[in-house]
Amino acid sequence: MRGLFRRTPATPANPATDASALGTTALALRMHAGAVVPAGCVGVVFDKGGRTRRAAQGERLALLEHESAFCFHPGPYSIDIMPFASAPELGLHLAFAIDAPDPRVPQQRFDLFLASEAEAAVTLSAIGAAIESTLQRELAQGNLELAPCTSLDEWNAFRAGLNQLLYTRFGLTVDDCVPVDLGDTVDYAQMLLARVHEPVQATRPGQKMAPAPVDAALADRHALRRLFLELPGVTCALRLACLPPGQLQFGQRQALLQRLDQVALSVATMPALTLAAPGQSLPTAQVQARARHAISAAAALDEAWSMVARLADAAHVDDADRIVANLEHHCAGRRRSAPEGGDA
Amino acid sequence: MNAPLSAQCRTTLASGRIATVIATRRPRSGRADIKCSAAGEPKLADRMQQVARLARHTEARIDSRDQVVISIDPAPNLDERDWELAVVLADRMVRGEWHAAGEVHANGWSGQWQLGRIDGHDTRTAGAILGGPGALTHLGGLAGHPDSGASVASARAWFPLHAGGIHDTLAWVDVSVYPLAVPGGDEEDHIAVLDAQLPVQLAVRQALLASRHFDGRALGRWRTVVRFGQPRFQGSSFELALVMADRIARGREFVPRGRIIASGASAAWHAGQVDAVEGCAPKCALIAREALVGDRILLPKAWETDLPDGFKEAIRALGASVACIERIGII
Repeated sequence: MRGLFRRTPATPANPATDASALGTTALALRMHAGAVVPAGCVGVVFDKGGRTRRAAQGERLALLEHESAFCFHPGPYSIDIMPFASAPELGLHLAFAIDAPDPRVPQQRFDLFLASEAEAAVTLSAIGAAIESTLQRELAQGNLELAPCTSLDEWNAFRAGLNQLLYTRFGLTVDDCVPVDLGDTVDYAQMLLARVHEPVQATRPGQKMAPAPVDAALADRHALRRLFLELPGVTCALRLACLPPGQLQFGQRQALLQRLDQVALSVATMPALTLAAPGQSLPTAQVQARARHAISAAAALDEAWSMVARLADAAHVDDADRIVANLEHHCAGRRRSAPEGGDA
Repeated sequence: MNAPLSAQCRTTLASGRIATVIATRRPRSGRADIKCSAAGEPKLADRMQQVARLARHTEARIDSRDQVVISIDPAPNLDERDWELAVVLADRMVRGEWHAAGEVHANGWSGQWQLGRIDGHDTRTAGAILGGPGALTHLGGLAGHPDSGASVASARAWFPLHAGGIHDTLAWVDVSVYPLAVPGGDEEDHIAVLDAQLPVQLAVRQALLASRHFDGRALGRWRTVVRFGQPRFQGSSFELALVMADRIARGREFVPRGRIIASGASAAWHAGQVDAVEGCAPKCALIAREALVGDRILLPKAWETDLPDGFKEAIRALGASVACIERIGII
């Protein structure tokens, strides 16, 4: 019970959070110790290991050491997203909320999302961008189908897949999703005209180039944090999934689970970014390569979540194998302290 | 995934000889992702590896399980670059990223493979895939998709041409739209149809005008150029393909993973209506033969009862999808 009765005044280093954005432009905000959970919101307290507990509205957040807290507003929220980068005037209007906690699971998916990915705040535009890139990747890989002149059956199949994807990946519950004409806000002709005058590289949407020189250390830290916290969740979901019975299936699933456990172990024992050995630093190029591998591994983790979302309808053994192989490859790359071998 | 273990693609060298690019796949086992070899030319092999790696940046699906080994024989000179497209296509085919119908012969080079763009070609061979302006300008164009970085949006759709038996083919129509500097004016003045007979030109103008009227936000914004892969044909069954290519080029339609193959006409495009055309059975047979993974096949609603037995199942087994529609538009 230590620290329960400590007073935490709102000093500049510990300012009172402005909670007015919650429910409109922000889904969640980081709270400091001793703050009161605002009305209509839910508090989530988590420690370094990703274990979370919830606090009801009006409760004072008493944090132990190494704990931090978020408050989120359950919504509803609505955004417009663009399912195809090359069709900017056509969008999907998405209405979603954070549903009441599911009592059957030990940890809510949205709590895990906050613990592993949130920084100071989760804004509506940030989560919109994350949903958009997730959806665009799934459509490009053919995991979700949204073809021209979609029939009602195909649309329903897409909706079911989208609902499952957003719940599994972000913990959001989709209330409604309808195609909309974005012609009021997006003018494709003007976008094309602007490209004539600009260097092309800067304007290409949905482009997956090697990332621009971002802060390697920061990106690496975020990616490793996500891997460390979320890999057990993916493994657990795969373990619990109801697959069709059969010995072959059993053997394959067992092998996948073992490999995922190995990857989780590798992440938990990952060497520091800039050190080749204790007291011996790495060359900058190798540090950059390590950070790139960490970012790619986090991208493979995203694909693993969407694979978990698709487990219910059919077994995608080959796809699961590919995703786990990518995770293994990039985690091995993150550990490497010498450049990758040549053309063997 | 249904990828072959090896794939090959031919290319014409500057000397006029035909070189063969062969790509094979084997388990990676900790080796490099791409290994290239060219007889006695390590520098050329390095360049091949660089090209293939850059072109992979535009793919949505990353797979680190396999090593792709690419070889070219006979080896081109060091200053040649026209083989680059053939290497990229062979690398895509062997991993199932692109499926070709039949033999592939390709020539093209680029300084921006990482964006999927192709800048030009040096030699021309009949029936070959050529890169560069006037031909294939970016890799997405293989499936008719617009390049989402260029200042000209252009999309392509395919339609079955029934000429009685063995001459049946899939022909394409290509729609490019440029934004008008000054919006407004007569829409028909801004539509150009290249190399087509007069009746086809008229039909194209009317179909585009009426379907853009249906769209609501398309009039007075675009300068349009329409090209056909085959200049001489009769009938109006190309209209649905034309209208769909136009909608995709203008960024107002969902984009299929593969190509659009459509057959249909309309007496009332301004209402978005799709009417039946002639030749259901031979066209369906042709489509079933030519369809590839990811293709979207659009047919008139009136054909739904006349479709050959097992047609839909066969298309679905290929990984493509078919829809019988009575109206265009979203759902």
